[in-house]
Formats: sequence, C-alpha cells, structure tokens
Amino acid sequence: MSRVFFLLREAMHNLRRNLLIVVGAILAVFISLSLAFGALVVNEVLKINTLAWQEGVHVIAFLKDAGANGVPSDGHQTLLADVRSWEEVKDAFYVDKAAAWVEYQQIFQGQDELLDIDPSVLPASIRIELVDIALFPSVKFKLEQHQDVVLRVQTAAEEIEQLQNLSKVLNVFGLGMAIVLGASAVVLIANTIRLAIYARRDEVEIMKLVGASNWYIRIPFLLEGLIEGLAGAATAVFMVWLGASQLARAGQGFALFRLDVGTQFFFRWGLIFLLFGAGAGVVGSLLGLSRYLRESDGIGSEVPTGVA
Amino acid sequence: MIRLEHVTKVYEGGTVAANDVSLDIQKGEFVFLVGASGSGKSTLIRLMLRDEPVTRGKVWVAGKDITTLPKWKIPYLRRSVGTVFQDYKLLQNKTVAENIAFALEVLGRPRSVIKPQVDQVIELVGLSEMGGRYPRQLSGGEQQRVSVARAFVNRPPIMLCDEPTGNLDPKTSVGIMKLLDRINRTGTTIVMATHDHAIVDAMQRRVVGLDKGLVTRDDQTGRYEGGGE
Repeated sequence: MSRVFFLLREAMHNLRRNLLIVVGAILAVFISLSLAFGALVVNEVLKINTLAWQEGVHVIAFLKDAGANGVPSDGHQTLLADVRSWEEVKDAFYVDKAAAWVEYQQIFQGQDELLDIDPSVLPASIRIELVDIALFPSVKFKLEQHQDVVLRVQTAAEEIEQLQNLSKVLNVFGLGMAIVLGASAVVLIANTIRLAIYARRDEVEIMKLVGASNWYIRIPFLLEGLIEGLAGAATAVFMVWLGASQLARAGQGFALFRLDVGTQFFFRWGLIFLLFGAGAGVVGSLLGLSRYLRESDGIGSEVPTGVA
Repeated sequence: MIRLEHVTKVYEGGTVAANDVSLDIQKGEFVFLVGASGSGKSTLIRLMLRDEPVTRGKVWVAGKDITTLPKWKIPYLRRSVGTVFQDYKLLQNKTVAENIAFALEVLGRPRSVIKPQVDQVIELVGLSEMGGRYPRQLSGGEQQRVSVARAFVNRPPIMLCDEPTGNLDPKTSVGIMKLLDRINRTGTTIVMATHDHAIVDAMQRRVVGLDKGLVTRDDQTGRYEGGGE
C-alpha cells in the first residue's frame, strides 16, 4: 500500500514539477480529440438530417382534376390502388384538393398575399414513400406512363441520393479524421513523455541505481500519461459539447436543419473519447518509455570515461 | 562475495576494458582498484553491477552468476549492492532525508520503517542537522556523505564505489574514507575504484592494480605506488 501511495505521490509531484510540459501534453490531446470529436458531431448532424429527409414522401404525383378533361371520376383512386401494388412502393396516400388547400394554408400561414388564390387551382396528389430511395427513377417512369391522370411528377430523390453519397463520404472522412487525430494524440503524448523522461533522466538513472524495476519506473510515467490523456479528452469532450449545445440552441428556430445530436450521443461518445484519451495517455507513455528503458538498461549507457 | 573468472570486456570499436581478469573478493574485504584513467577500473565496477554485460567470462556477486542474470532480475541484484559515484547522483529536488529515503521507498518499505532507518544513517554519516536541506545547499563532501548514506541505508552486503573522492579535496576525502572504513567494519564488503595515492597508501588495504584492462598486481596490504602507473 505504501508503494502505491509513493508512486501516486511521485506522479502528482512530477506533474506539478513539469507543469509546462504537462500543459503542452494536455493541449495536444485536447486539440487532437476536439477535432476528432468535432468531426464526429458534424458527421452525426449530417446523418440525422439526411435520415430525416430520407423518411416520408419521396415522390409526389400531381393529378389532373377527376371528372374533367377525359379523366374518369374514379381515375385518382384507380391510380392510387395501382401505385400501392408496385413493389417499389412502401406506402402511398391520396391528398385531395381540400387537403391540399389546408396544407397550402399551413405552409403559407401569415402570408396573406399568397393565400389570396382560388383553392380549386391546387391539384390533388398521390404522395409516395419508396422501399428504397434508389428506386425512384423506376417509379417516376411508371407514373409518367399515366399521362391521362398524372399532371406532373415531382421527386426529391436526386437530392437525397446526393446527400446519401455525401453522408457516406463524411462517414469515411470522419472515421479517417478520428483515426489520424487519435494516432496523433498517442504520438504527441509519447513525445511529451519522452521529453519528461529526458528532463528527468538523472532521476530514472538513480531509480535504477537503487534497484527499482523497470515497471516501478514506468508506473509514475504511466499515471502521468493517463492523467494527461484523461484531462485532454475531458476538456475536448466538454468544449465540443458546449459548442454543439450553443449551436443547437441557436438553430432551434431553423426548421429545415436539425443541429441537436442528443444527450445520449454525447454521453456514449464522450465516454468512448475519455477512455480513448486515457488509453492514448498510457500507450503514449509506454511508447515513450520503452525505447528509453531499452537503451538505458544499465545505470548509464555511456562508455566509462577514459575507456572509449 | 565477489568473483570474476576470466572476465573480458570489449566495447564497440574494439576497446578492451577488461582482459581476462580473475579476482576473488571475500566477505568483509576492502579492495582498492587502482590504475590510470582508461585502465578499466570503472568497467570492473560496472560489470559487478551488471551495468554492462561481459564479453567473456563469469561474474559472481553474493553467490549468484550475474552474467546469466535475466534483465528483470537486475534490480534485485542492485538492491543488495550499494553504489557510490564520483558525481554523487543525488536528486536535486529532494532533501537529504528524502534522497536517502528514496532508496527504501523504491523497495516498498513502509514509512514506519523508513523514518528510523533514515534518521539512523543520517547520524552515521554525520549530517544529523542537515536532513531538511537540498543537495545544492551542501558542500561536495556533504553531498558525497548523503550518497554514501543512501547506498548504505538498505544495509547491503556489498558496496561498490567508483572514484567517490574524485571531486573532493584531500581533507574531505579523508572524512569520506573514514566513513567507508566504518561501514566496512560492520562487515560490508567494499570495492573502490580510485587513483588517489594518498588514500590508498593511508588505508593499507588490498590493492588490485589495473593497466589497459589487465590485472598487473594484487597485494593484500598494498600501496598505490606498486600499481604500475
């Protein structure tokens, strides 16, 4: 027990003594993990919004008025039944002229000049949700074959497909960023610990002199790396959370784009980043130490004076 | 206690620091290794501490063949061997008492054991009033006393001293030698590398002369002058 306290005391003492190096290491981890975590949050925001856009209506078929211009009175319902039977279609529903007017009023609420129109000009429509968004060209083609009933086909699928591709690219980019920046955090900690060891090489030499094992020498440095990694990661998680929360709050009134990624996301990924920071600190310390301890396995690796 | 059997040490570049050296040092002996700079004194100390591997031959310390000692066991060897160096090797950010206690803390001794042992050894080396001082506040001789205290606090059966008086004036050197002599009288085997004529002549102990890695003489109660310098 006294050994544990001694090692902890040594680690804390060394952290205090090498404050500048320690702050440097914490900042290095903070910057690397902030960028990685930030990239992850941005990726999540895009994913959430892409998913939101992917849900719901993908294709709208505006219809000619039933019972006029050669359109049979049951033409709309016949087409709806037909559409529902298509294998590409997950769901389809009918919006009649009255419902279209209600929807129009909702969209342009408060804009009196736009509301001053003849409601009968608004066409009825069939709103279609696809099984797979990639199938939209086939559905569009089929609808265009019903020129007698279909006035116009509108689809947001091309835009959604572009967003999907963008999301895939961002996923890969985010993952790549996280790996590169995470690795850089490990390297930075390793270098910092190496600097700390260099600054304290006399101490390490004396520890070896009095019979300390390599593991005994390692532990205070590992604790230092762990604390630095954790502190850097905690600061990164907190700052990214703070930034994202402020952005989400600022974007609350923005209906088309959602900026809030949710507490659960932050909790889960925050924990992962804390663990990663701690792990990066320990691995960095081990890397920084291993070469030094291997090279100086004796008390002094230099050739004795007068011999070389 | 220490035995070297046909030990040869060749450094990278071909420098021969020990050439077929055989020595047998008994328990409680005080042995001087003498010779000019580059004669191989420090190398022999390092070989006994397994700070360097031998090129050929065998080294036994406290009954163990340390040439075949696995790396992870080296710290255990060093716990049974106290070491004193010319440059003191003290931690500048620790006080005298902390420097000495460090050797026991590394071994995981409880505080209740460390405190009395440190106090005792501080008194032995004559630094009772200086336990709270830092190395930079001490003279060279006082710093070397701290170094000796740290080497002896664990009561090792062997002490290896590499030029412990090399940085000290003659009067201070005598003080350090008196201290080492006192420790030797407790039964601790001491091997000391030096090129200090006066000390070797005054102590009248066993003298092993070295020249270019070769043992040139081994006198039981020798003087420095016979050392072939």
